[in-house]
Amino acid sequence: MVTEQWMVEEVRKVVLDAKVEASDLHGSGDHFHVRVISESYEGVRPLQRQRPILNHFKPFIAQNIVHALDLKCMTPEQAGDSGDTAFDPHGEEVEFFGVHIRRPDKE
Amino acid sequence: MTEFNWAPEELQEIVDNNKLVLFMKGTPEEPQCGFSNRAATVLQQLGQPFVSINILSDHRAIPSVCAWSDFPTMPQIFVHGELIGGSDIALEMYESGDLQQMLVDGESE
Repeated sequence: MVTEQWMVEEVRKVVLDAKVEASDLHGSGDHFHVRVISESYEGVRPLQRQRPILNHFKPFIAQNIVHALDLKCMTPEQAGDSGDTAFDPHGEEVEFFGVHIRRPDKE
Repeated sequence: MTEFNWAPEELQEIVDNNKLVLFMKGTPEEPQCGFSNRAATVLQQLGQPFVSINILSDHRAIPSVCAWSDFPTMPQIFVHGELIGGSDIALEMYESGDLQQMLVDGESE
């Protein structure tokens, strides 16, 4: 298990100028929602924003030290518009913030 | 039908031949992970058929798919043969309209 502070420090090794916020979703030290805010993301596509961070965490994910990593990589402008969107994949109440859940088989 | 071995060329063929592909834990009807559920839910909103592959069906699947795509986590979403990312990016692109646009753009090529 790792801490929110450790997550923040590891992300900062990759995106040097970033403002990083990590939430330990269960207090179990392995499910994290991480917001990364950096000027350098301007004009960069979402996957290309995440790649360097995911590559850095690859060994920790492979060893299951980090089981879930929900990344939100934003420009400062995007961060200004964004609400609190932490997603808990194992939460009791699954929220899809903005996405209407359509289950054709249950309609 | 020949056996499926999760080889790079087999995986490439799936994403080349289907405009929307989701590698996920479980199925859209019975997802086995919250992130996979979120990804499947986003794709269902698009109102288009998509191919979903349950990577829990074979122990070789996760390492094979992750090595081939060079992406460490599940789920993974492919649009017109291109990896867009996991459920966080799929949702972000759906909300911004970029995902819908990418589907349309790929049609005309």
